[in-house]
Amino acid sequence: MTHRDRQLLWLRHTALIVISIVMLAPFYWVLKASITGENIYDYPPHLWPVRPNLFNFVDVWYLIPFPRYLLNSIIVSLIAVAGNLVLNAIAGYALTLPFIGRRSVIVLLLSCTLIPFQATIIPAYLITAHLGLLNSYLGLALPLLSTIVCIFVFKASFDAVPRSLIDAARIDGLGDLRILLRVMLPLSTAAVATNVVLSFIWSWNNFLWPLIITRTQDMQTLPLGLARFLSYMEDTTAALYAFVVMVLAPGLLVFLMAQSAFMRGLTTGATKG
Amino acid sequence: MRWQRILSSRFFIVPMVIVVSVIGWNLYVMQHDHGLLQGHVVDASGHPVDGATVILFAHDFVTQVEKARTRTDAAGTFQFDNNDSHLVQLQAQDGTARSRRITIRLWFRAQDRVLQKPLRLAPGA
Repeated sequence: MTHRDRQLLWLRHTALIVISIVMLAPFYWVLKASITGENIYDYPPHLWPVRPNLFNFVDVWYLIPFPRYLLNSIIVSLIAVAGNLVLNAIAGYALTLPFIGRRSVIVLLLSCTLIPFQATIIPAYLITAHLGLLNSYLGLALPLLSTIVCIFVFKASFDAVPRSLIDAARIDGLGDLRILLRVMLPLSTAAVATNVVLSFIWSWNNFLWPLIITRTQDMQTLPLGLARFLSYMEDTTAALYAFVVMVLAPGLLVFLMAQSAFMRGLTTGATKG
Repeated sequence: MRWQRILSSRFFIVPMVIVVSVIGWNLYVMQHDHGLLQGHVVDASGHPVDGATVILFAHDFVTQVEKARTRTDAAGTFQFDNNDSHLVQLQAQDGTARSRRITIRLWFRAQDRVLQKPLRLAPGA
């Protein structure tokens, strides 16, 4: 490595460290506010936590029905993750098979990604109401049971599986479903992880849909609980930020656990010609 | 071999650590949630006060409301055995003398707690 290369390496790493600090600073501030109770508008601000404690988290746990919100969010997210894995894998596999109109279906699906959820929320609400799923866990998870982006993550991953393997499985007498289960999915763990992470985080953070279809406080999820908490406790910054940390933590944990596979899942098939 | 791989995976270890921590914490809570709050009341010179009234205030969403009263014994000791809050305040009074209202934050509802510092009465406080 030449002197110039080493200089460039240092420069690159310094830039990355600075960018990381800038991006992580708001998270650090939220975490600091949650454990200190310091007003975020205090001037001059303290860089390090002063007399940190975890009692704000205890307040959040007891002042609102946090355990109920948490349970609701976990159930809805698990349903969404399960639905995504099953439906997206089947849809992704179907898109790798030759059939008439395949290209049109792909174009149609891709064009649907351009339509924001807000534009389709009324039909989605009416369908959910007709199915009798308003104010239910399945109804809460329904719009996220299958997502187009995740279908294409599976499709890209399945496209990368050598055709010879699928042909061999077919010669051995396996049907499409068993090829999917026995051949495709074991070779697509990165796509599975990507589906799990994306569907979990999208479902976990979903605010608008639960706001519309829940009727009782018992069915509300954590983002709705956060909004309710904000309206009750507008002067308690520390408890509010403690709530934010408690809402963020599970999503971060899932992402960190599946981080490497998630990255691989997003880039699988990226270089395929 | 396959099971060994699953058991050593972070997708198994992390949830298990969380489950074990939650179970352990709940066992601890079950053994320490009798709502006992004990402490002492002393006068300005540090002597125990017999018959002082101690008031327990509990956090009621945004304010503190009085929940219970008790009296100290000859050793100046008081005890509440029905606290069901995680955030309480205590104040002692004896005639015109009062202590400062102190805030006690607990890790869970009805946590048993023995106060290390006594409530100190001050005339006309």
